[in-house]
Order: sequence, then C-alpha cells, then structure tokens
Amino acid sequence: MNSAAVVVLGQGVFTVLGTLAAFLPPNRRAMAAGLATGLLGATGFATGIVAFTRPTTMEVGSGLAQVSIRLDPLGGIFLLIIGLLALAASCYAVGYVSGPSASRTSWIALTLFIASMQLVAMAGSVAVFVVGWESMAVTSLLLVWTEHQHSRAVRSAGLWYAAMSQLGFLLILGMFALLVSTGGQSQFLNMHSAVSTGSPLLRSGVFLLALAGFGMKAGLVPVHVWLPRAHPEAPSHVSALMSGAMVSLGIYGLIRIVIEVLGRGPIWWGLLLLAFGGVSALYGILQAVVATDLKRLLAYSTTENMGLATVAIGAALLFIAAGRPIPAGVAIAAALLLVVNHAFFKGLLFLAAGAVLKATGLRDLDRLGGLVSRMPTTARLFAVGALAAAALPPANGFVSEWLLLQSLVQGERGSSTVTALALPIAVAVVALTAGLAVATFVKAFGIGFLARPRSEAADLAVESPMAMRFGMGLLALIVVILGLFPTVVLHRIALATTIPGARPITATWARIQLAGGASLAPPMLVALTVAFGALMAGYVRWHGRPRRTGALTWGNGGVRLSSRMEYTATSFAEPLQRVFDNILRPEQDVSVTPVAESRYLVERVGYEQRVDDVVETRFYQPLLAMGAAWGEWGRRLAPGSVHRYVGYVFGALLIAFAVISL
Amino acid sequence: MSNQFVQALNLAAGLILLTAVLTLWIRRVSTLVRLIALQGVALAVLVGTVAWHGHDQQLGLLAFGILALKAFVLPYLLRRVSTQPGEAETDPLVNVPASLLAAAALAAISYAVTRPLVALVPSAQVRATPVGLTIALIGLFVLLTRRRAVSQVIGFILIDNGIAVVAFLTTSGVPLVVELGSALDVLLAILVLQILTNRIQAVFGDTDLDGLRELRD
Repeated sequence: MNSAAVVVLGQGVFTVLGTLAAFLPPNRRAMAAGLATGLLGATGFATGIVAFTRPTTMEVGSGLAQVSIRLDPLGGIFLLIIGLLALAASCYAVGYVSGPSASRTSWIALTLFIASMQLVAMAGSVAVFVVGWESMAVTSLLLVWTEHQHSRAVRSAGLWYAAMSQLGFLLILGMFALLVSTGGQSQFLNMHSAVSTGSPLLRSGVFLLALAGFGMKAGLVPVHVWLPRAHPEAPSHVSALMSGAMVSLGIYGLIRIVIEVLGRGPIWWGLLLLAFGGVSALYGILQAVVATDLKRLLAYSTTENMGLATVAIGAALLFIAAGRPIPAGVAIAAALLLVVNHAFFKGLLFLAAGAVLKATGLRDLDRLGGLVSRMPTTARLFAVGALAAAALPPANGFVSEWLLLQSLVQGERGSSTVTALALPIAVAVVALTAGLAVATFVKAFGIGFLARPRSEAADLAVESPMAMRFGMGLLALIVVILGLFPTVVLHRIALATTIPGARPITATWARIQLAGGASLAPPMLVALTVAFGALMAGYVRWHGRPRRTGALTWGNGGVRLSSRMEYTATSFAEPLQRVFDNILRPEQDVSVTPVAESRYLVERVGYEQRVDDVVETRFYQPLLAMGAAWGEWGRRLAPGSVHRYVGYVFGALLIAFAVISL
Repeated sequence: MSNQFVQALNLAAGLILLTAVLTLWIRRVSTLVRLIALQGVALAVLVGTVAWHGHDQQLGLLAFGILALKAFVLPYLLRRVSTQPGEAETDPLVNVPASLLAAAALAAISYAVTRPLVALVPSAQVRATPVGLTIALIGLFVLLTRRRAVSQVIGFILIDNGIAVVAFLTTSGVPLVVELGSALDVLLAILVLQILTNRIQAVFGDTDLDGLRELRD
C-alpha cells in the first residue's frame, strides 16, 4: 500500500470517527469530536504533502459508482489550507462551542463539512467533484443554521445561503454537463485535450457558467449577498472554515476549469474576469470600511480578497491568450498565494472575532473597545491577523499583494491595446483596495480593541479559554511564518501553476526571483521593518517621553472623558463614507427632541445610520418582490375547492389525449 | 375466433359501459351501489371470458377474485356508508342531461384516442378497449361534478374499473402480483374514504365537498 492510499484512508477513518464521537454524552463530546476533526484536518494536510511529493490518481469501483481520487499540486495547496484551518478551528471549537453549536448534529455536520471540502480538492472526476461540492453546501448550510431558534437573522441568512448555493450548484452542474458532452471525458486529467477542439461557442458557455457558479461560492459581486449574511450568523469556527477554506474552493474551481481545462480562450474572458474581480474587490472593501458589525466587516473583506484573486486569474487568462506563459504563471501564483494567505489570516480574524463575541456577546464595533487590557492574547492575535489583512509586513498579506502587482505591471509590456488599457486600471484598483484595507483594519483593531470600553458587556470581558487561544495562536504562527518565509509555500505554488513552458518563479529560502527580473527578499524586508521600528522606539527612549501634565484636555467643567466621547467605528469611517457616498448610499436619520419648555433648547439628538448593501436593495429586493407577486397570483389557482383540483387533472388528461390523437 | 367469445365480450363491455353511464343519471345512493355491484359482475364476466378464450387458469382465478371484491366487498362497504341520512346526491354541479351529453362526448374522445391502438391489433378484444377508457373518464367526470363523499368514492371505483378493463383487454391480464396490488390499493382507499366520510359526517353533519374550502395551504 502506498503513502497516498494510507493518508486518504486515514481521512476516511477520521471522518467516521468524528461522526461517531458526536454520539458521546455532552460532557465528553466536544473533546472527542474536536480531536477527531482536528486529526481529520491533519491527515488532510498530510494528503496535501503527498499530492506534491507523489502526484497520483486512484480509482475505486466502476461505472457510475466509480470514485476517482486525484492528488495533484493544485488540489494539494487547497488540501493544505483546509487541513491546517480544520486543525486550528477544531482546537478552537473545543473551547468555543456551547448550546446548539455543541449539539450532536452540529459536530456531525462539521466533520462532514471538512471531509467534503477535502473531497472537492481531491476530486479526480466530475462525479466526485459534484458530490463533494453539494455535500459541502448542505453541511455548511446546517452549520449556518445552528442558532436558528434564537434569531430571525439566522433563519434569513440560512435561506439566502441555501438559495444561492443551490443556484450555484445548478450552474456548476450545467457547466459540467456542457463540458463532458463537449469532450466526452469526465476525468479532469484528460479533459483539457478533450475539450480543446470543442466549438468556441460551447467553450464560452462553459466559461460563463463556471464564472457564475464558482463566483457565487467565492462571493463575487453581484452574487456575494449570501456572504455578509451567512458568515456573521454562523458559529465563529464555522465562519473561519467557510471564509478561509470553502470560499477559496470557488477560486480553486475557477483555476481548475478555466485555466487548466479550458486554457486558451478569447480575450474577453480575461477582461470579464478582471472586471468582476475589480468590482468585487472595490465594492467589498468599501462595504467593509463602513461596516460596524465586526464579522460582517470580515465577510466583506473576504469578497475583496476573492475579487483580487479573480483579478489575478483574469490577468493570467489575458496573458495566456496573448501566448505569454511567464507572466501568466506569475499571475496564477499570485492568485494562489492570495488565497493561501487570505485563508489563514481570515480564519485567524474570524476566530478572534468569535472570541470577542463569546466574551462580550457583541459584534457591534460601536459598543466594543478596551479589550486590549481585558483580553490581551486575543487582542494581540487579532492584531497579527489585521496586519496581514492590511497587507503590511511582517505578516503574510504583503507578499501576495506584491506578487499580484508585479504580475499586473510586468504583463503590460508588449501586449495588445485592450490589455494595455485594462491592466493599468487593474493596478489602480488593487492599489486603492490595498489603501482602503489598511483603513478597514485600523478601524477594526483600533475601535474594537483599543481605547475605553463603550459598553458594560465590553467592560466585563474576560480572556478566552486555553483551547481557543491555542487554535488562534496556531493560525497566527502560520501567518507570521508565511510572512517571513513565503517561499515555503511558493515552492509548492510554483509546482501548481501548470502552464506549459513556464518556470516563472524561482524561490530560495530568503529570496523570490521572478522571471521578469523583479525580486523580493521577505526576511530582509521584515528585518528592515523591525530595525526601523526599533530605531523609532530607541529614539523615543533616548530623548525621553515628553513630560506629562495632569490637566484634562477639553475638560472645561472638570468632567473626565467618558467612553461616549470616543471615536466610534461609524465616525472613524465617516470621511471615507462621505467620499464614496454615491456608491454606498447610506441612510441617515437625525431626530431632535426639544425640551418641553422651549423649542430652542435641545434635550436629545438621535442619530441613526444604516449602510445597506446597494446590490441587495437595488437588484435582489425588486427581483424577490416580483417573485413574491407571481407566487401570490399563483395562489389563486388553488382556492381550496376539491372539484377545481380534480378539474385540473381532468383538463390536463383531455389536453394530453387531444395532443396524442391529432 | 369463435363468435360466442366476441358476443360474450361485447355483452360484458356494453354492460360495463351502460352501468357507468347510469351512475350519472341516478341519484339514489342505494341504487348507485347496486349499479356498481352490477358493473363488478360484468367486469368479472369480461375477465372470465378472456380467461376462457385464452385457456388461462390464473386469469380465471383472478376473475373470481374480482367478482368477490367488486361485486360483494366494495358494495357492502359502500352500503354501510350510505345508510346514513343526507347521503343522496342533492344537486350535482352539472345537471343530469348535460352529464349524459358529456358522457357521450367522452366516449367519442376515447374512441378517437384509441384508434391507433386498435389499428395495431384489430382483434375483438382490443376493439373493446375504448370502453375502458370511457369508463375511466366518466369516473373522473363524476369526481369533478358530484358533491357527496359517497359519489366521490363511486367515481374512484369507476376509474379503477376502467383501468382494469383496458389492462385485461390489451394485455390479456397483467401479472397476478400487479393486479392483486392494485386491487388491494383500491380496497384500502375505499376503507380510508369510508372512515373519512364518517368523520366528515360526524363533524359537519354533511358531506358536501364544496363546504371544505378551508383545508388549503
């Protein structure tokens, strides 16, 4: 028995064990089930390693029941992501779960969710992929619905998610149907050559369906609306897995089908991907910068990151269409590195947000604050994640954004007019996004963790249990390692960018060298950053801090500053919101209550602001209202009269007869 | 092909058709039940004739089963329901002359629809299949236009009889298992409907289906 079979079998065994462990009595369930799911993640990680060292395909059974497993570097990267995230989230979950999220159903769904994500990344044929994909959607839906008894928001989020994921599934099913009927080949391994002779119309149909279906899973605008609903309402370890791993599988699907299977296509494919990616990135980060719900903010930032990855894939398609494999390879490597980095820092951020939620019961940034002294470990770990999300060194986000910009800038040389126009715009979008991301995460950390607590719940917060801190710490460690030595994973990513004739990236442990000439030495960069920081600290030390005086600033009446006078998340984002007013269209409501005696004296001023998702209010709600009206009209067909119903049958029968006999 | 066989077959088929049409005319429930019993006998005769002609012992056995079920058991169950007061069909949604005209139209449709089928094997047996289809359609028509729960049951039995006639005439008998299964189905459905009728009667004092509009959604 070879190593591949051993690890795959191990995954199966731990899936079964995880399911069985959920049946233990509640006091031992979390520990046992958490251990099993953690080990499931670890074996999945091992499978990912095997996928690099010894790519294999395995087939069990025959005919329709044939299970075809394929371990290759591209799937391997996602196996690594899923494995590590599952491991960290399982540790975290042991300390985190309570109530419905500690139930038997919830643990079983979690186990199956992890296993089906792994199955998608290992799928060798269409059938296995589709089964894994659907089981992933169903189990994650169960997990989103965990708290359905407690709030209406959960139920509505679940419905949105269910509807959109099933719609996406249908699109993907249609895409595969077209693909297989074009090439007559249902194994991914041989599909590329099988469909390369297909008619351009069919290939474009496959492309569009793949973009729509996988885009829905990746949360691209305008099909992102499930994401800012489902992610906040799911238990936090599930949000971490969904946002880190499941959403990334949308990008996996895009790369697998569009780059690997379809490959070279007309130029508008790449432009379309660039457009969708750019819009998603900008819209996502704009919504994130004004969001006040911490988990909603993180969810919108997921849309942003997936948008950036899509921009990279679009650029790669443009380069492939122009017959330039080297920049294409760099672009795909950028996409993959973005996804890898995003998975870990977003997982970390969601876990930390969950720790805050568990300690305070709050997700609203306007009511948090002061947590850095109350939950020091969680605050520091969140800071690491926020650094990464803002793409600053020493965390990992920086390298991937650098690579993305490099691929876009490099590719411009010697390309066609359209490409030469599109790429600079993409660069501008990426740059703007990066800037807004900094503002977003300064807000998330600054408002959420620093200053004084803005509510009693935040004041009374206590540090999370050991298991949760361990789970978060694991991810933070990965984030820092990937920031210092991104070459650890770039080696593998270079293997996964399967574009013939290209070796775009050479990476040693300390230096990344692109084929175009640009290079980066992350450890050096980090050393410089640290040295600069130390210099600044030394300077401040040397010259001494300015003398403190005891007077109160603006404390005219001698009143101490209260937490009500602090910046809030809303006020912090206000300038940006003003700039992007046309896109965000916030709804503001100011109500002034005068004193009874005189209307010139104001007793109270109420200010309320809501930023709704414009896509949702302008696009989905009219659509849903139309559907509801149609349904209302349809109800008139069913007035409750039995005779009317029999009449329908009778009429249908007679019409059928008439059709036959004519 | 013996002449007697054709005559017996046509007689039985005609009797079945006649009883079906008469159910549209007659309002007294006790007479309706008698008609259904008579139709059951005619159906058994039809099956028996086919069995005798084809020397099929299994089918002959089945004819006796059909006789027992459709001529005795079902009418007995129906009679138990109909002894309750207020069961006579008061005013159907479509009046009697119009119903009879509709039956004629349905028969015409059945003949038109089954023409390709008859053209396939123009034997005496297959020639009679439009009768089965007509009865099934009349059964649906009864369901559609009659208000009382008992009338609904009768319409249901007519549909089943019609299907049975078509099945026996075109295939000389479906496999025994299938026939037994469908017969049991009908029996169970009748039992359920009987209980349901009693319940409706007990709760509302009436079994007019048009009064049951609230049971939707």
